[in-house]
Amino acid sequence: MKKVLIVDDAAFMRHTIKAMLTKNGFEIVGEAENGALGVERYKELSPDIVTMDITMPEKDGIEALKDIKKIDANASVLMVSAMGQEKLVKNSIIAGAKGFIVKPFKEDKLVEALNKL
Amino acid sequence: MTQNNEEKVEIQEEDTQKGRYLTFKLGEEVFGLEIKYVTEIVGIQPITNIPEVPDYVKGIINLRGKIIPVVDVRVKFKKEPIEYNERTCIIVIDIDDMSIGLIVDEVSEVVTIKEDDVVPPPSYKTGFQNRYIKGVGKSKDGVKLLLDCNKLLTNEEKQNISDIEL
Amino acid sequence: MSDDFNTYSEPMLEMFMFETNQSMEQLEEILLNIEGNSTITDDDINEVFRIMHTIKGSSSMMMFNNISKITHSLEDLFYFIRENKIYDLDLTRLSDLVFSTIDFISFEISKIEKGKDPDGDESQLTSDIKDYLNSIKNDHPDQEIILSEDEEDHENFISKENLSQDSNEFIAKIFFEDDCKMENMRAFTLLRDLEEIISEVTHTPKDLFDDEEAADKIIEDGFNMLFRSQEDYDKILDLLEDGMFVESVDLEEVENEEEKSEEIKKTQVDLEEQKKKTLNETLKNPFSLNKNKNIISVNVEKMDMLMDLVGEIVITESMVTKNPEIQNLELENFDKAARQLRKLNNELQDIVMSIRMIQIGPTFHKMHRIVRDMNKQLDKNTRLEISGEETEVDKNIIDTLGEPLMHLIRNSLDHGIESTEDRIAKGKDEKGLVSLDAVNTGGDVIITIKDDGKGLNRDKLLEKATKNNLLTKSPEDMSDKEVFSLILLPGFSTKDDVTEYSGRGVGMDVVKKSIEKVGGNIQIESEKDVGTTINIKIPLTLAIIDGMKISVGDSIFTVPTNTIKESFKAKKEDLIKDTSGKEMILIREDVYPVVRLHEIFGLKSKKTSLLEGILVMVETEESNYCLFADEILGEQQVVVKPIPAYLMQYTVKDSGVAGCAILGNADISLILDISGIANKYI
Repeated sequence: MKKVLIVDDAAFMRHTIKAMLTKNGFEIVGEAENGALGVERYKELSPDIVTMDITMPEKDGIEALKDIKKIDANASVLMVSAMGQEKLVKNSIIAGAKGFIVKPFKEDKLVEALNKL
Repeated sequence: MTQNNEEKVEIQEEDTQKGRYLTFKLGEEVFGLEIKYVTEIVGIQPITNIPEVPDYVKGIINLRGKIIPVVDVRVKFKKEPIEYNERTCIIVIDIDDMSIGLIVDEVSEVVTIKEDDVVPPPSYKTGFQNRYIKGVGKSKDGVKLLLDCNKLLTNEEKQNISDIEL
Repeated sequence: MSDDFNTYSEPMLEMFMFETNQSMEQLEEILLNIEGNSTITDDDINEVFRIMHTIKGSSSMMMFNNISKITHSLEDLFYFIRENKIYDLDLTRLSDLVFSTIDFISFEISKIEKGKDPDGDESQLTSDIKDYLNSIKNDHPDQEIILSEDEEDHENFISKENLSQDSNEFIAKIFFEDDCKMENMRAFTLLRDLEEIISEVTHTPKDLFDDEEAADKIIEDGFNMLFRSQEDYDKILDLLEDGMFVESVDLEEVENEEEKSEEIKKTQVDLEEQKKKTLNETLKNPFSLNKNKNIISVNVEKMDMLMDLVGEIVITESMVTKNPEIQNLELENFDKAARQLRKLNNELQDIVMSIRMIQIGPTFHKMHRIVRDMNKQLDKNTRLEISGEETEVDKNIIDTLGEPLMHLIRNSLDHGIESTEDRIAKGKDEKGLVSLDAVNTGGDVIITIKDDGKGLNRDKLLEKATKNNLLTKSPEDMSDKEVFSLILLPGFSTKDDVTEYSGRGVGMDVVKKSIEKVGGNIQIESEKDVGTTINIKIPLTLAIIDGMKISVGDSIFTVPTNTIKESFKAKKEDLIKDTSGKEMILIREDVYPVVRLHEIFGLKSKKTSLLEGILVMVETEESNYCLFADEILGEQQVVVKPIPAYLMQYTVKDSGVAGCAILGNADISLILDISGIANKYI
């Protein structure tokens, strides 16, 4: 079972992603509500996959992504973005995100994406 | 003061594009042209014949109102000519306001080859094209024969004679 | 560092350079004024402050930090002067600082124009400016100064270029799942996924980021890639199919002609087109503007297009009004309308040509700065007088003239005008005079550079020429004019007489070449102790002629209509041969030689019998003769283009070709050199 860390500043999103993934055979090992905490928890938990919201306070998704990549160059990070954030998506891909998903998304798309990581 | 500025700029203009080559292929061989001479690349297009020119000068083309003579590099290098297809390109080079188009099998890409990776051309004179090569560049994809654009543009009848004497 | 600048659009950069260059020119004028009047006004101070402030802002936006810093320090200086109403300034020191700044900025801009990093070090100059400001503050204590804001740090992302092994070429068409959103970014992700193993990538849609419709294009037509890879087909297919939200992949090896589907073949054509476009864009990276482009160039390029378009309209108008389909019809209203059309087109032609004409004034005015600088360096006191500023000249010519003019002016000041003492000793005005004049004589523009210096010394010139082995005639046979022209020969100036200010790198022979490049010529007159005059004559050009199109085999030639006397089909009884076997024709009791065009040009004619084709009688200054061609196609106005320079090393010109004409359908027709053919073949 793949271990997932969910990083998102909206409790709603964390809840939803957790529910979707747990139903589909993923183990949620941790959550964080901002980028800084996200990096901390990554160090503690060493998850297989991280879902990372792009815009967050206290260090946004791209900064956190970069920090995580410094810890583990092969880290699998899936960026969660909204429509209109193309430039941020571009920058995250350049910074090493393995993929991205755009809100609003359905459960099957999220699962499909994580299965590719 | 202005004078010195102009000089410095002249020297540095060379530096910017130094080591950058446009590569193209004739069959399996890859050649490189310094991009400072290359102005553009176009697909093969209708060529108008011109009298009294060597066989490698195929004629002239109309490039947006400018008349450019075109040279078939295969013929110039005394290789077997092939039929032109959709990959055949004309590389337009410009030296001292003289423009010509070079017909090549296909163009590849722009690469950077450092001076350290360029070795002098082979000293033996076999292979008609070697007289136009000013160096051999080594890069990850393999060896590229770097052409001397100035030699390509001049009349090499004089050179012909001296080679026969060899 | 240069990759950073990919973030900026070219129009933005062009605008920045244009505005900055303009500002530098304005600034220079203001300073020259200040120096000329030896006072500085409130308006002057305000203007300089405003200019510095503007450039500080725009250069920091473009991240040219050195320019931003230096303008910032000058802005501070002038702000202080303005707020504290300081007028007792050391104007010499002030203007030197500003001129140095102008030079620094102009130099950085020219680096950018040529594709190089603007990496000049402004720190020395900035510190000089600060020192000056401090000295003013010391003289006027109790004053304050505004602190600058910190520059923002921009982050930029640089993507790797990669060279991987070259082996096979592939085409891939990829569709993503419905509703996966941001298909353009999905495509970008795929490119990154494959980065390590592919090279020479071309893709459509080409622009994944700035094209708003990229995602839609991908939804409709798929994401198409043309690339090379050393990996095998299966591995590449796997990698592609593994991409996130990839619905389908159609992967083909390019070499495999038979197995490719029609759709892939069509995609390949698009991709090859795109590849050329991309390569062409790489050749023009964000900074390097083509040599002939100029910052006003957004207009100049359009101007060229406009000119070409007008040429084509002229040609097409002929195709309509002289169409064979209507030649024998009596169309009164049509003819009237056609005449009106011709009239309007002529007007259009005139106007378009005149738009390309620019006053030479600004080019002349730039010489003031050069004279000022040289006066300082050489400790001379020379005046520059300009006349004929409103004279209009084609833009191309203005661009070419700049450098030669500068060189000639420097020459006059350096070698021509004597030192103040010498001048006084000779009884001349202690202020030397250099005058620049331009006049339009209808067909040409004549530019004159005149100085009242010591003139050229015939004997010295001959001596130097002899030393450098440049004489082709004996000195006694040479007129003064010819002797003076010796300085135009390459190799005339030796290293010894090249001073710092004139002649280095730009010899008189280069000046001559530049002028000849635009079809002009240069002549020198001189008189000892009186002065030297240099005359440059440049023709105003654009040739549109009336031509008759004739066909010979598959080729179309153009005969200038004004050389044609008549045309006809030959009658058997009129054909004869002269004693040497040359073909002739008898017309109304006179015998004319016949020149078979397909023979002299080595073409396969459709009609070989003189009775089948058509004979065109043409006239030259010396004689008349007949051209034999297959058919006459009709009269047409054509735009004349010269034979390309490269071909001049062959005997094309002698073979009877005077130039090239571009026909209405964009084909090229060779223009026949009627006198040349007569000279060669008759």
